Amino acid sequence: MAEIKSSDIPVLPWPAVPLMTPDEVYKGLSEAAREYPNWLEANVHWRDVGKKPEKLSRLRILDVTMKSMGGHWCTSLFAEHGAEVIMVEPPGGDPTRRLTPFNRKEWMFKDNVTGEAMGANFLHECRNKFSMTLNLETAEGRELLKKLVVDADILVENYPPGQFDAWGIGYRQLSEINPRLVYGWIGQRGQWGPLKDRPWMYDPTGQNACGFTHGTGAPAAFGGRPTRSGMWVCDYVGGTCLANGIMAALNYRDRVSGRGQFVEATGAAGIMRIIDYNWGWQGMDGSIRPRFGNWDLAINIYAVNPCKDGQIMVGGGHDRLWYRIWKTVGKDRPELEQHIVEDPALKVVVDRLPFYAQVETYTTLSEWFKDNSRLEAETKLQAEEVASGGVTFADEVAEFPHFKYRGHVLQVDDLMYGKVVVSPPSQLAQKAPPRIKWLGRPTGFDNEEIYRKYFGFKKDEIDALKKKGTI
Amino acid sequence: MAQKDLKAMSFEEYCRTVFDAKKIFEKPEAFKGYTAISTTQYILGPSCANYFAELGMETIKIELPRRGEPMRHTTPYNEPFLYPLSKQMPDKGTGLGFFGANHNEYFLAVDFHKPEGVEIVHRIQAKTDIQAENYRPGTFDRWGIGYRQAAKINPRLIYIWMGGFGGWGPGRVRASYDILGQAQGGTFSITGMPGPGQGHPAVGLPSKHTIWLADYWGGMMGCFAGLAALWWRDNISGTGEFIEYSQVHGATRIIEGTIPLFARYGVVAQRWGNWDRQLCVHGIVQCGKPSYPGSKIPLEAEPGQILISAPEDGDFAKLCQVIPNLKAVASKYAKYDDRVQPKAQSEIYTAMEEWAKDKTKEEVWQIMEKNEINSQPVWSNKECSQQEHFHLRDEMHWLDDPYFGDVLSQGLAYHLSDTPARHRWVFKPVGADNEYILQKYCGYGLDQIRELEKNDII
Repeated sequence: MAEIKSSDIPVLPWPAVPLMTPDEVYKGLSEAAREYPNWLEANVHWRDVGKKPEKLSRLRILDVTMKSMGGHWCTSLFAEHGAEVIMVEPPGGDPTRRLTPFNRKEWMFKDNVTGEAMGANFLHECRNKFSMTLNLETAEGRELLKKLVVDADILVENYPPGQFDAWGIGYRQLSEINPRLVYGWIGQRGQWGPLKDRPWMYDPTGQNACGFTHGTGAPAAFGGRPTRSGMWVCDYVGGTCLANGIMAALNYRDRVSGRGQFVEATGAAGIMRIIDYNWGWQGMDGSIRPRFGNWDLAINIYAVNPCKDGQIMVGGGHDRLWYRIWKTVGKDRPELEQHIVEDPALKVVVDRLPFYAQVETYTTLSEWFKDNSRLEAETKLQAEEVASGGVTFADEVAEFPHFKYRGHVLQVDDLMYGKVVVSPPSQLAQKAPPRIKWLGRPTGFDNEEIYRKYFGFKKDEIDALKKKGTI
Repeated sequence: MAQKDLKAMSFEEYCRTVFDAKKIFEKPEAFKGYTAISTTQYILGPSCANYFAELGMETIKIELPRRGEPMRHTTPYNEPFLYPLSKQMPDKGTGLGFFGANHNEYFLAVDFHKPEGVEIVHRIQAKTDIQAENYRPGTFDRWGIGYRQAAKINPRLIYIWMGGFGGWGPGRVRASYDILGQAQGGTFSITGMPGPGQGHPAVGLPSKHTIWLADYWGGMMGCFAGLAALWWRDNISGTGEFIEYSQVHGATRIIEGTIPLFARYGVVAQRWGNWDRQLCVHGIVQCGKPSYPGSKIPLEAEPGQILISAPEDGDFAKLCQVIPNLKAVASKYAKYDDRVQPKAQSEIYTAMEEWAKDKTKEEVWQIMEKNEINSQPVWSNKECSQQEHFHLRDEMHWLDDPYFGDVLSQGLAYHLSDTPARHRWVFKPVGADNEYILQKYCGYGLDQIRELEKNDII
């Protein structure tokens, strides 16, 4: 291994503003008031994760997914909780590795051993995983996979529907080799049924199929149109669904049946499960949920609106918060407060929900916003204990004092990728928390080790497989 | 069905058999006999507990008496309600905001502020496997029913606190809602049409995910941590766990490589509308013609959109054969590296939209299907709910609800061949199961329950 120190890899300074100290954070609080946050901090703080056990360290997962993020996201959740996750990639690696916005190669991440470039999105879901290569298009490659499955707990794949089955490595066949195997498939619309996935369908297919895109964005009257998520959100939601399904199957296997099962999740079904009240409303009176921009159909005030330096969220649907919001506004602009609180049409919570009432509310509120920056408005509203906060961009997220203090953004000093700021696992835990141990591996980096460890191959056998293109 | 038959089937037939929605109630549940408590309100905490209820845990939702939790009073335009709200308030209804996050649960109404209420909660906690809670941090601790007290009664209890900013750190006192999580976590910043002058014909502001994403998906993340904790408890440690989930943090977890990209290279990710930063062609194309030109619903009279996906070089070459307007740029952008550049994307999609000007989304879909190019029209929830596909797979279904009659409900987010999740009812009125729960978990008799009722404890 080349002698490179992580300090040799150029990075921007982070944090630009130093972390707050506990004394600054809890300044002015009585001992009694400090007791509970102190207990939490002592029990769930990020700095102590290395001292604690991992929940899923006895599980081994084969991540045989490629060309999208759903499977990788799913296995990330297990990897964060300590499972041994092996990415089984085609020779040359998962093409997703090489994706970078607008093909800007200078924005990729190189490891200090092989120098292979990896896109930021892939790096973010490569955490704690190993990488091996295996050519499943060859019969020999598929035989090797079967050997690896013997002792695996979970396999996750996202190949075209029926592809693995046709290759003899689907659930029907693998469950005979290892009846304890939990086998997960992830896609956009599904691997069976009239709308089953075509080969390599990606997000946002799911976003469009489930009603999400149609309902997101500003109304036509405001110049808006249906809008997809900026992320591959179906991959992430569908991947989380698959992870939950697998976790349920594992609990059942290890407590009751001793057998694994076949689990399927899709991006479309994932979002359909969580798309608020759309189906109930549709079934009740045929309503199609309209686009409502950054406002909300069911709560007023609960919206993001423009202010002096961007956009700001304010929320408070019921009376107590409603009047606190207008009180805050009234401190600067009494006539605006008066305009709203004296309007008889806005006196009752439910009367504030129709479209015209929301237009009036937010037009008035924006009169005040236009003289306030996000921080000014946020500070004034929080003085009245109103939920509010600016729309923040990556630079602000990375420097948000609360996130830095809690380790919600965290600089990992990785052996291979140097110092990288990432978003670590979002579930904190007292006794066995999830964590980041390393950021990732270049393509096939662990071939040597895995083929020795799990197959008993010697150097010349590994070299021969490489030469043949099997690995 | 015999094992032999399963092996002989086509793969599709096999899937239809093992995932058959009609057979769900013939199969066991993953968490038979487990008990969960949901002391939650709004969506984040309730949805987490709801996923437990779908998987077979007996989930007890504890609300304040009479009016229940605030989400019962939230509904679009304040129009649709399901009646009654509670025994005491039969002329009020529950809003549809409550709809997606409380399936299968048992409803107990308890005033935690009173000592008799605290006693009830303790008695249930003693017999519970997992609890989801999302009051302000420290509130339950102050009331004597938080994790620290519950763990003394039941050391095997897994306790998941979920909320905005978490219970410690500079932002701990801040209230939060779903869109605040989305706003401060960064999902707004990369969603929506780009600002002016960025080479994209559509212009707009940072945009929310219209669904309560940070809540519902956050609930899933909490659920994963909870199920992992159960596995750890039952197979390894034998002990309970305390989990803290911050939805604002959750939102930063889902914004992909945005943070590393900024911290290493100073790149602040922006919005790229309905196209894709990393793949081309892989974008939503605006069609010229509406699918329902005569509709009285304005939304339906709008022209449609469709995703067309042909990101690899071979796919793109095929697409250029199908869409004559692309011929001019076909050779210039034959390679992925060139095609994904912003200027190229702008030219390609403009040409495609020119071609789609005289077509509906269904017409475009038909052409794409015929040529085996991946595509998916942007469906409204009406169009989506009419798809046989989703009903067949039980991802959406009509529930014959014992209280509310026929309701169209979301179905399953995942399919398990042996222990499928299931939906029994959408929800019940406030305190509908007071008697059952108090008898089963607290050992109270009828007189005692009536007394509690009279004193406004339940």
